[in-house]
Amino acid sequence: MHDDLNWAIGGEAGDGIASTGKIFAQALSRAGRHVFTSKDFASRIRGGYTAYKVRTSVDQVASVVDRLDILIALTERTVDENIDELHEDSVIIYDGDRTEFSDFEAPDDTTGLDVPLKALAEDAGGAIMRNIVALGAVCEVADFPIENLDESLEKRFGDKGEKIVENNKEAARLGAEYVADEFDDVEFSYELETTDEDYVLLNGDEAIGMGAIAAGCRFYAGYPITPATDVMEYLTGRIDQFGGHVVQAEDELSAINLALGAARAGARAMTATSGPGIDLMAETFGLVATSETPLVITNVMRSGPSTGMPTKQEQGDLNMMLYGGHGEIPRFVLAPTSVSECFHKTVEAFNLAEKYQIPVYLTADLSMAVTERTYEPDEFDMDEVEIDRGKVVDEDEISAWQNEKDQFKPHAVTADGVSPRALPGTEGGVHMSTGLEHDELGRRTEDTDVRVEQVDKRYRKVDTAREQEDFDYREFGDADADNLVISWGSNEGTLVEALDYLDEDDIDVRVISVPYIFPRPDLTEDVQAADEVLVVEANATGQFADVVEHDVLERVERVNKYDGVDFKADELAADIKEALA
Amino acid sequence: MSSENVRFTDFKSDKQPTWCPGCGDFGTMNGMMKALAETGNSPDDTFVVAGIGCSGKIGTYMRSYALHGVHGRALPVGTGVKLANPDLEVMVAGGDGDGYSIGAGHFIHAVRRNVDVTYVVMDNRIYGLTKGQASPTSRPDFETSTTPEGPKQPPVNPLALAMAAGGSFIAQSFSSDAMRHTEIVKEAVEHDGFSLVNTFSPCVTFNDVDTYDYFRDSLVDLSEEDDYDRHDYDQAKDAILNADKEYMGVLYQDENSVPYHEAHGVTENMAEIPDGAPDGATDLVREFY
Repeated sequence: MHDDLNWAIGGEAGDGIASTGKIFAQALSRAGRHVFTSKDFASRIRGGYTAYKVRTSVDQVASVVDRLDILIALTERTVDENIDELHEDSVIIYDGDRTEFSDFEAPDDTTGLDVPLKALAEDAGGAIMRNIVALGAVCEVADFPIENLDESLEKRFGDKGEKIVENNKEAARLGAEYVADEFDDVEFSYELETTDEDYVLLNGDEAIGMGAIAAGCRFYAGYPITPATDVMEYLTGRIDQFGGHVVQAEDELSAINLALGAARAGARAMTATSGPGIDLMAETFGLVATSETPLVITNVMRSGPSTGMPTKQEQGDLNMMLYGGHGEIPRFVLAPTSVSECFHKTVEAFNLAEKYQIPVYLTADLSMAVTERTYEPDEFDMDEVEIDRGKVVDEDEISAWQNEKDQFKPHAVTADGVSPRALPGTEGGVHMSTGLEHDELGRRTEDTDVRVEQVDKRYRKVDTAREQEDFDYREFGDADADNLVISWGSNEGTLVEALDYLDEDDIDVRVISVPYIFPRPDLTEDVQAADEVLVVEANATGQFADVVEHDVLERVERVNKYDGVDFKADELAADIKEALA
Repeated sequence: MSSENVRFTDFKSDKQPTWCPGCGDFGTMNGMMKALAETGNSPDDTFVVAGIGCSGKIGTYMRSYALHGVHGRALPVGTGVKLANPDLEVMVAGGDGDGYSIGAGHFIHAVRRNVDVTYVVMDNRIYGLTKGQASPTSRPDFETSTTPEGPKQPPVNPLALAMAAGGSFIAQSFSSDAMRHTEIVKEAVEHDGFSLVNTFSPCVTFNDVDTYDYFRDSLVDLSEEDDYDRHDYDQAKDAILNADKEYMGVLYQDENSVPYHEAHGVTENMAEIPDGAPDGATDLVREFY
């Protein structure tokens, strides 16, 4: 009996694919099972092909694999799109009453279950529930208690009234009964255990939004853009409960300036966007750094350049975040490596921004942002959240400071590069901030000595942070292996799983997953200790590999994927094996 | 600083303006400082935002909490400041290029949001700091280095844009008429909502058409028109769109204006946050069960 199940529903955009997938994922999570979801979607509202995949196991799962066990096919194209992943125990659930399935035959070695999804849904109260009928059928096939699905339906449709909830439960029950009655001679090889564990299920964008609220962020401005919009949608309606506010800006230029204004007023503020939006924000990004304003800018990467493939995966904006903007701009770049790290790194991003009065890029890639994963709720322990606002001074401190040094200096040249910060409204702290080069008082200058002093001061924060903070990496696999694989972003989960495949081939690998892009941990010793060094990333040129080479002064090999599709564990293991050969 | 003792000179910085002698911006800025002081504000509780250009220098010459930003984006910054801390008096300054060209998109949206900021546009109908190119408010036949035969397109009418976007306070002033300019800016500061004050602020170096004399002779002061009712939308519309005259004064004021932060309950100072995650944050996790 299989417990590690890969399930998918596929059809056209507009078929309710995502909500059906979510209902099933939540049912599994509430039954104490681990869940990892992935979405295949196109940049259109209706039509085309779209799919939602759920991988589930009683053990932690953190990647997709090239194997599909149960497929709900709402269109025949769904079968074609997934044909390579089907295998001899796969089950395809389809509706033979639909014209395109009238002469459909399931591919060899798979089991096709013709379930009259629409007709049964109508019996339960409406054709719209055909996907729920299919979920009921899945429960029967996978030997998964349908009561867990009922709970998920209550959560999903509770707001719409008792009648809707009951109709949906009935639809699921009819689907399950149909399979039990009509296919009682078919042996299904799946059995999904339930456990008493309590899990939460969320995606990277939601974890970033939750992390922002936890960190005391109260102002968010953004312009809708895939795949970052979920951050704004999460915060809308929630941040208000904590005295915060979301503004949907007229464009990204406005979004970052709104957030900058709020940050200057003393709020913890954030904007989130994706690649094209980061380009638009670049000019103000320089102002944020020069005016030494604490700001968190989230970039949820997607395939570029230009509009590229907006709904597909890529880690292609690293150079833009590290180097983007005219002139030289001190900034931090954090790249969470999992959904839960999206939460923790967001909290950290706000602390770093205020401690060092510097813009912080927080970047997730599309795969991580839209991927839902289960965790134990303790992973998001709000009691552990610490807030460090840095050198914010009140009027007494300003007054003491003034007695000592004659005038409050918002850009005072200090040993650590960080100046005292007076929030507007603080008596005695009046000052102007500007993107022009300025002296310690904030006054415009073209004095050559002051220029050098201020540039050095702003970059000194980076050195201070290197000393004070723990910009460490995460490590997996065999610590003594001769082969070193370095990665960043969402590849971590896939790599952890790829280790199992490599292990089968007796290939030992040490994995280093780097969540701090700048400042970043020193990898020199790690690289020197290894015989082979590979950098895995979802881009064509190896942007992080370039960075590593620059740091260690040694050539490293690259494993790149830039077709817009997530790395899969088995595929990645094969790529690594080939690169090491 | 207790606001009773504030004088307008308290809003003056120790930097001497580098504007050309005779520039209209001197008068525009003096009126802004007087208006702030006379409406009971202090530099500690005031935030001034400016963009780029001659107008953008105002943040340097005035004394308050201030940000001198990038070209065209002063209004979003001012909006962010006001929403994060509605206790602050927020004034945004810009030029005709800053506000009606590169920042035109933000202008429309700031107007329609009705955030309680006072927006003073120093309109000289020319690009001064880049040494004399056409601006969005330049006349169609105004010859400049980049428009040797004139821009050949009608100028932007900022008052009409504001009206079309649902502006709740639309005014026009003249920097050289110090008393009226100050009065108008004061009313703008006191207005609950977004206030536009388009201030004619002549460029003595590059604009020999829209001069002090021109404005002095041609502007009609609405305060001297007995039958003008600023609360009458249709009358305002006619004055802005159909009249062949240019007016000084408050052309339109919505008596029922409710500023954004009050309409949407954004009234707390967001700078104050707890030492850890806010109360109730654990419920956010619970949602994902």
